[in-house]
Amino acid sequence: MFVSWRWISEMVDTTGVDPVAFSDRFVLAVAEIEGIVQIGPGLEGVRVGEVVGVAPHPNADKLRLADVDLGAHGRVRVVCGAPDLRVGMRVPFVPPGCKLPSGIEVRDGDVRGERSPGMLASEADLGLSEDHDGLLELHGCDAANGTELLDALPIRDTLYEIDNKSLTHRPDLWGHIGIAREIAALLDRPLCTPSAEVAWTTAPPLAAGVTIAADAAEVCPRYLAARFSGVRVGPSPVATRLRLRALGVRPISNVVDATNLVMLETGNPLHAFDARFVRGETITVRLATPGETIRTLDDVVRTLEPTDLVIADGAGPVALAGIMGGGDSEIREETESVVLEAANFDGARIRKTSARLGLRSESSARFEKSLDPDLPAFAAARFARVLAELSPGAVPASALLDVGSHPAAPAPLPVITTSRGYLRQRLGLSAELLPDAALDRTLQRLGFTVDAQGDVLVVTVPRFRAGRDVGIADDLVEELGRHYGYDRIPSATVLAEAKPAPLPADKQLERRLREICALGAGLTEVQLYSFEHEPTRERLGLQSHDAAGRELPRLRLRNTLSSEHVALRRGLAEGLLGAIERNLGHGTAAAPPQKGLRVGLFELGRGYLPEQQPAEGADYGLPAVLLGDAGDDARDGYLARLGPALAADAEAAVQGRKPLPHEPRRLAIAIGERTGGAADGGVAEALPAELTASLWQEATAALAAICDGLGLPAPLLRRADRDAVLLATAEAGPGLPDAAPGWLHPGRHAWIVLPAGAHGPARRLGLCSMLHPRARAAMEVPAEVVLVEIDRDALLAASEGIVRRAGRPPRLPATSFDLSIPVRADVGADVLRGRVHSALAGAATLGAMLEDVAVVTTFRADQGAHPYTVTLRVRLRSEERTVRDVEAQQARAAIAHALVDWQDGCEPAPVTPALAERLGLGASA
Amino acid sequence: MSTPNDAPTWQAEIDALQAELAAAIAAADDAATLRQLEVDALGKKGSVTALMKRVGTLPPEERRAYGAVAGAARGAVQQALTARAEALATARLQAELDDRSFDETLLGQPDRRGAVHPIALVQRDIEDVFASMGFQVLDYPEVDSEFSNFEALNIPGWHPARDMQDTFWLHGGHLLRTHTSAGQVRTMHKLGGEPFRAIFPGRVFRYESTDASHEHTFHQVEGLMIDRAPAAGGPGVSVGHLLDAMRTLLSAIFGEAVKVRLRPGYFPFVEPGFELDIGCRNCGGSGCSVCKQSGWLELLPCGLVHPNVLRMGGLDPAQWQGWAFGLGLSRLVMMRYGIGDIRLMLSGDARFCEPFAAGS
Repeated sequence: MFVSWRWISEMVDTTGVDPVAFSDRFVLAVAEIEGIVQIGPGLEGVRVGEVVGVAPHPNADKLRLADVDLGAHGRVRVVCGAPDLRVGMRVPFVPPGCKLPSGIEVRDGDVRGERSPGMLASEADLGLSEDHDGLLELHGCDAANGTELLDALPIRDTLYEIDNKSLTHRPDLWGHIGIAREIAALLDRPLCTPSAEVAWTTAPPLAAGVTIAADAAEVCPRYLAARFSGVRVGPSPVATRLRLRALGVRPISNVVDATNLVMLETGNPLHAFDARFVRGETITVRLATPGETIRTLDDVVRTLEPTDLVIADGAGPVALAGIMGGGDSEIREETESVVLEAANFDGARIRKTSARLGLRSESSARFEKSLDPDLPAFAAARFARVLAELSPGAVPASALLDVGSHPAAPAPLPVITTSRGYLRQRLGLSAELLPDAALDRTLQRLGFTVDAQGDVLVVTVPRFRAGRDVGIADDLVEELGRHYGYDRIPSATVLAEAKPAPLPADKQLERRLREICALGAGLTEVQLYSFEHEPTRERLGLQSHDAAGRELPRLRLRNTLSSEHVALRRGLAEGLLGAIERNLGHGTAAAPPQKGLRVGLFELGRGYLPEQQPAEGADYGLPAVLLGDAGDDARDGYLARLGPALAADAEAAVQGRKPLPHEPRRLAIAIGERTGGAADGGVAEALPAELTASLWQEATAALAAICDGLGLPAPLLRRADRDAVLLATAEAGPGLPDAAPGWLHPGRHAWIVLPAGAHGPARRLGLCSMLHPRARAAMEVPAEVVLVEIDRDALLAASEGIVRRAGRPPRLPATSFDLSIPVRADVGADVLRGRVHSALAGAATLGAMLEDVAVVTTFRADQGAHPYTVTLRVRLRSEERTVRDVEAQQARAAIAHALVDWQDGCEPAPVTPALAERLGLGASA
Repeated sequence: MSTPNDAPTWQAEIDALQAELAAAIAAADDAATLRQLEVDALGKKGSVTALMKRVGTLPPEERRAYGAVAGAARGAVQQALTARAEALATARLQAELDDRSFDETLLGQPDRRGAVHPIALVQRDIEDVFASMGFQVLDYPEVDSEFSNFEALNIPGWHPARDMQDTFWLHGGHLLRTHTSAGQVRTMHKLGGEPFRAIFPGRVFRYESTDASHEHTFHQVEGLMIDRAPAAGGPGVSVGHLLDAMRTLLSAIFGEAVKVRLRPGYFPFVEPGFELDIGCRNCGGSGCSVCKQSGWLELLPCGLVHPNVLRMGGLDPAQWQGWAFGLGLSRLVMMRYGIGDIRLMLSGDARFCEPFAAGS
């Protein structure tokens, strides 16, 4: 909204106040100023000219020659291209040498062979508006020809462009009077509001009267109507039109301009109907009937709903209340009699209709702030005065009819009882800094009535601040603070005595994970949208399914910004996969997008699981006390303190309560490598097994680093068909990733399991998988990708309370031996290692000496019953003495024994007795 | 059979072998050759070892002389080997010392650098500053109830402030929180009853179209401090306290003294409410293009907690007072690292994060 300093100065004595310097004070006390516009600079030298002759341009059809009379400054002939040029019109003449605010520099030169010492100007040329349509005709300007424009017209001004958002809560500031009141209070000078004296007649404005329908009574607390006759519709004087222009309103005709001027002055929008088109001599304010339509002034036919408020005449809607008039009853050139509407509407209702129809106007912007219901009567009177100026001869032809609940029984003004002590305490001011008299006076200057009883103040709020603006003592704290000056409030120490608060364990864990992943594993952290990217999800088939093959639900948005984002992610890996694809597509800072480019990313974030609603301790997004968890007494006490209005809201929230979805915290890792370049058209070559193995190795090394970095044992990687027992017994938290996400490769994935140990029982941490081959084939970049998704809270639970100790260098050397064991093709090397480890760990002496069993190498032959050879290294050590050869032999025997006996539920013996014999593992028992 | 008068035939043989070996040792120009020569001469089957073994085949009277000669020869060979080995080692050392072909200008390249996201870096710093001043760091759901996000914050359904925060609504009635303020009442219920101070950083969502300075998803840090009112024997919470706290905390975050000022700002959950500006750090307050010549930069909204919000949080406004602020974390990240387009933050483009490999 623009505020004209010139207009303000008509109501407040601003002598000696520089509006630009004053703007700083205004910003700190009232509202944000987005910009300051100066009107006047650049227009010096521009004069009032009268066109006294028009002649054709000899060399151009669209140009003419204008003889311009400048009074005492003589007469000039200039070239003019304006089509509306005619003898007798008075227009601005710009002499050579002027540099106008629009940027136009006027020179004394030839235009198509004719000399033109100056130019005739349009509004746009002068920088007064965007209007290029013809010359600025100086209607209603009495100054003599040759007078400087700035002297002839009251246009020199400073405009504040105020940020509308900073006025959201101040309906009183949507007109110049409200702003003037603030400025008068800041300057401590009187406010002189314009006269509203009008000689109304006694006739009814409409023969059949004005009715507010019963069901609209709350939405329209007040409706005033008046009739004016003797109206002659025409353009407003140029000064009025330029004032409207400067304030961003398009001048239309004197009648419409009068409604707009009064709106800009008072803040209350008005509407004028051509009395001829108010059918049935009646107006009804009512709710729309379903499907009812109205053609608004912008020439759009709008279908209404029963929540919309309309102004109807005897035949149907003539205006969308508070938002826009109807096209059928608008003011026309031949209008002679006008019916004025000055009303007050419920802000929330206007906002609702305006938002639903996507129709915002100067009017709706004001009404939706909940305007002062006293204002329309003043505005109607101001209209009568302004109309008389803009259309001489126009007079009131009726009484000012005033209907509605407000005029019938105005609500009492709010009264706030507080104390000066409280007001000062909240500001942090002493009685020395803000003495009683100054405190009271500040409130009075702003329109409050102050009744002091000792330190207690009984403050009556003026109607124009009473709506939803000022109602409690804390609102007065703000009034005092901003007019005292927040910059003058001394600061008071509060933080000095603070004791540091410990960082919560999950924050510490996340920091540790970032260090390990970024600095240790060389992965780059990304943070991605919580929304899934639908095209990518569709193309790559990333939907998650349950055991029965049904797609798992996602939280869907009711309103979407684009069809790409319609639902929240269940997990993180899907988004990371998309990011990998994009990064492999455009390359990294260090490497171009060629075959061999490898990108590793991680994200710490959360998924959103709509189906998980924990039975007990569910979070409804409501206070437990409100839900009655602390008993009925606590609940009733809570509601009582809220007061009736807030309590009703709170109870409504309980009625409609639903548990919030589970938001599992996750860590996801994705590492991808391009398998083809851009040059070969991105055609994927056969996927080398080494690449898959190397990606798997890198991802799982990161997992190992994470567990190691948190003081946890190395994780186990197990597919369900390999180690069902372990997976069935390991604890699984609610934050585990989906068991069957679309990216999971059925044959190349593993659950990540933390083995039981000092940290607690065995625990599932998450999933690690190569990308499903179908998704891989659909990637826009030929690539192999490995994906990991971990339940952060499982890591948190396992790592809590872990105490790390420094290593103790052993005194004696270890004894180690390698075993190459051929096993069946489907045996997992680490399962074999685990078996060997537990075989030794269980034996008395050997168990104490067992230091480590590690997989050294694996080799896969093409055929044979045991084509997979796993080489294990067993390391034994004693603190007391060197391990003896015979003990190493015993260890081999124990291993042989265990392997031959290997008959776990899901695992038939992978090593036969004959094979054990052949391996020289010793005879089985 | 030889006689005592015969010139010992083995003398010449030994001399010849010794000479041959001496020549070969002198010619050896690397350690491996030398080692081979040593094995060939002095090893179990070596030529000199064979000489030594021959002593048993000689007549007893010759054995002493033979032994002395052969022993001397073996000693000489041994010595020659050692001398040559030392010479070779010295030469090798000297050669390495004299070598200038090493190219010290080649910079090593790490295999692949990792990086921490700038939001995480700034968030970590902010958490540390606040934790050091006694603020608990809390975390709340991103999908929350209409109650937490609006009603509890004195924003009932009719309120125009709901326009200012266009909301993503979810099927089923919940919403994506539009501000971290949604955690205010949660925190009061969690920590209320004693004075407390807490921050809760996190993601927030706005239903609005994106451009270089607007994102539908961004990060905020909410701060909340509650203390006893003077009427309840406490110090109370005033605008003066808020000013001091913000100046202290922001100076710690920016690592230098920061000027702050309060302007009136409207937020239904605070009264009075403020926009807090900091002195422009680009021009030092003298006015530049960054601060639109004003010398001030709008940084965060804050204010004294509205009594209705305290009530919703189960706290009696006669007994408890507080202040709150909402810091635009994304905005702070952009200021600190000179990021011109907010959409880069959640783009997943590794090139954006790579400069943060070494941390902040």
